[in-house]
Amino acid sequence: MNSGLFLGLSPLLVVSLGGLLLMVAEAFSKRRVDETSDDRDAGPSSELSLGTAVTLLAGAVFAAAIWFVGPEKLEGASSVAPWVIVDRFTLFFSFVLCLGGALAALLAGGYLPEHRLDRGEFYPLIIFSTVGAMILASAGDLLSLFLGLETMSLGVYAMVGFRRASLRSTEAAVKYFLLGSFAAALLLYGGALLYGATGHTDLAGIREAIANMQPGKGSNFALVITAAVLIIVGLAFKVSAVPFHMWTPDAYEGAPTPTTTYMAVAVKCAAFATMLRVLIGAFGEGGLESWAAGWPPVVALLAVLTMTVANLVAGQQESVKRMLAYSSIAHAGYVLVGVVATMRAGGDAQGSVMFYLLTYTVSTVGAFGALILMGSRGAEAVSYEDLAGVGKRHPAAGFAFSLFLLSLAGVPPTAGFFGKLYIVKASIGAGLYPLAIILLLNSVISAYYYLRVMVYMYMREPAPGAPIAKPMRSGYVATALVVAGVLVLVLGLWPTTSLQIAVEAALATR
Amino acid sequence: MNKVELAYFGLCSLIALLGAVVTVGAKNPIRGAMGLLSTIIGIAGLYLMLAAEFLAAIQLLVYAGAVVILFLFVIMLLGPSAQSKRDARGAVARYVGAAALLVSGLGAMALVMRTKSVTPTALPAVPPQFGTIESIGHELFSTALVPFELSGALLLVAVIGAVAVARGKQVDPTLLPAADAKSSQTSAPTAGQTKEARS
Amino acid sequence: MSTYVPLFLLFIVAAVLAGALFTISTVLGPKNPTPEKMIPYECGSETTGGRFVKPSVKFYLTAILFVVFDIEAVLIYPWTVEFKNLGWIGLATMGSFILMLVVALLYVWKKGALEWEK
Repeated sequence: MNSGLFLGLSPLLVVSLGGLLLMVAEAFSKRRVDETSDDRDAGPSSELSLGTAVTLLAGAVFAAAIWFVGPEKLEGASSVAPWVIVDRFTLFFSFVLCLGGALAALLAGGYLPEHRLDRGEFYPLIIFSTVGAMILASAGDLLSLFLGLETMSLGVYAMVGFRRASLRSTEAAVKYFLLGSFAAALLLYGGALLYGATGHTDLAGIREAIANMQPGKGSNFALVITAAVLIIVGLAFKVSAVPFHMWTPDAYEGAPTPTTTYMAVAVKCAAFATMLRVLIGAFGEGGLESWAAGWPPVVALLAVLTMTVANLVAGQQESVKRMLAYSSIAHAGYVLVGVVATMRAGGDAQGSVMFYLLTYTVSTVGAFGALILMGSRGAEAVSYEDLAGVGKRHPAAGFAFSLFLLSLAGVPPTAGFFGKLYIVKASIGAGLYPLAIILLLNSVISAYYYLRVMVYMYMREPAPGAPIAKPMRSGYVATALVVAGVLVLVLGLWPTTSLQIAVEAALATR
Repeated sequence: MNKVELAYFGLCSLIALLGAVVTVGAKNPIRGAMGLLSTIIGIAGLYLMLAAEFLAAIQLLVYAGAVVILFLFVIMLLGPSAQSKRDARGAVARYVGAAALLVSGLGAMALVMRTKSVTPTALPAVPPQFGTIESIGHELFSTALVPFELSGALLLVAVIGAVAVARGKQVDPTLLPAADAKSSQTSAPTAGQTKEARS
Repeated sequence: MSTYVPLFLLFIVAAVLAGALFTISTVLGPKNPTPEKMIPYECGSETTGGRFVKPSVKFYLTAILFVVFDIEAVLIYPWTVEFKNLGWIGLATMGSFILMLVVALLYVWKKGALEWEK
């Protein structure tokens, strides 16, 4: 009980308290619209979207402030360890998660009223899912890790099924819920076995116990390996790595687009943060980190499968939203390459992974946001055909979409280029030449479907009689796109500072 | 483990596992829920064996008392359509998947058994007060403060999620057959989306 | 463990008794079914409509809210038993926990989730 503790936990506390206040405000607010109303500003979104974004950004600001103070100076903060570890790694991810959540909330502020979904529950769900995600990124113990995971996932399940009138949304929610719970159960089973084998639930204790273990007869090493496999599979579900990705396209496509954005950004980043913490924090010693008998070859296999399958399938999609879903799977594959590299190239590689997640966050928010912007009431932009000619009729929207697609494709001078560059550099530094080559080949494949969107936007005219996409007018969506666009360019033009920050954050876990 | 304990362990595990098989395999969802009930009771018995008495009581009260009722309730809500039909799609993939899971599970078990670690880890012996309400209260509010507060956040999300999902408009039944067929396709025609949005 | 032996005996006796009563009545009871006896009984009048009436989703909402607040009560129970030993920290912890759930209750209340006619 001291100021260091409260300051250390302030990003979490600020976001939670803000969420509680918003809930009370929304419950007492008179703003309700029935779903036939045409007034887009009468619903709760017009207030809550901004409130949610401000709350989450306040969390990001507090995370940044503690970064400058230095988390190691906050002595009281260690009293909540290992449940919640306040270090630079936590702060980095808290910042990224809050940023992603805030941008998704702004997108929701435009999307929900436009598509007659304007119910206020969406915003507390975003906030408390983000609280869960931040706990997930900071958890140093399997128990709090699981609680964070469940808090995050429960909120997202409800957000996926938010469009109750649509069967597609309900189907997406059921699929995501079933497979998500299955993944959580696997993770829990792995955690239980790990506790049985090592007698610890905190990651540092597990690491120590494994390091002292002698492989061979009479030891629990086999139990540890079984547990590690279960935990890796559980996390692979959450980051949607092939072959555990089956739920992703349906869930991403069926969910309301702001939810899809949130899933692609915050859920994925939090899952990768946990993966880094567990793989390096708990399985970083005792032979488990070696190429011969540890997790790197398993993760490498996942990475190759994920990149290749996702990119090949993404090119065949006719729906842009589904294409972006496969693209997010492909990006998980690129990140997994970086995760493999962390075991040999150390903090630099982990920093490149974290920098990649930052660039991926801003690019993905932008791409989904642009897709939201292209649709209006009754005509959500979904297929390539819907986008025909949009670039000429609405140059600003077309430019924004192109910028984010180029960043996802990894074209300089956007953020995505440097994200990929550093991952490739890290994997070459770790001697993983085949992985680097496969990654580069996949980037080339991915350019096809990203550029295809631009071909439709600028070089095609809508078929005669086909509905013409009218971009929606929403200050919130526009703001989110501008913020994401500026970040994409800033990270692309001056990548070194943020890379250094990411590397510094990565060193905190080593 | 002496013989009585072993017999008790075997009985509880058998109840739990048989219940689990029924839960997964039963064609009638009500029977499935009853299987779940038996699993929960078996697990409560195992908790008792682990000297977690409070947990065993809670397991019976909350899970057997409330959660299974909720399950039954949802089954009633779904009505006769909850009865699963024979689904031939992807049957081969399912059997291959189940077989792969079984083989890998048995393989892991064989691996663990072969290394002969009967007592997994030298965990400290259980203190005499272990599992009582007092000791749980002490543990929960001294060392495990943070997870306790996190569980509060989890319950909060559950409440908001329930309100978000259960209020709002329900699926229009007149749309069911057409939309059902469409929902499994890969691409969404804009017209279909419009129709759904207006309904 | 051994203190629970009478409880288990009670379980066993209850199970055996229930099973035995059903078996005995099936074996000994006279069976004489007629078509009239086999139709569902509805106050002597003809049955109409389907067997299944879909309940409202509101039941589900009420039920799930019940489970959530049930778990909350379960978590409060150990706190009350240890209340004196926990001191102010315990009170503050429980205070913030309750605060979260009070907000949750307020939320469902004002949203009308507890009301039937809405």
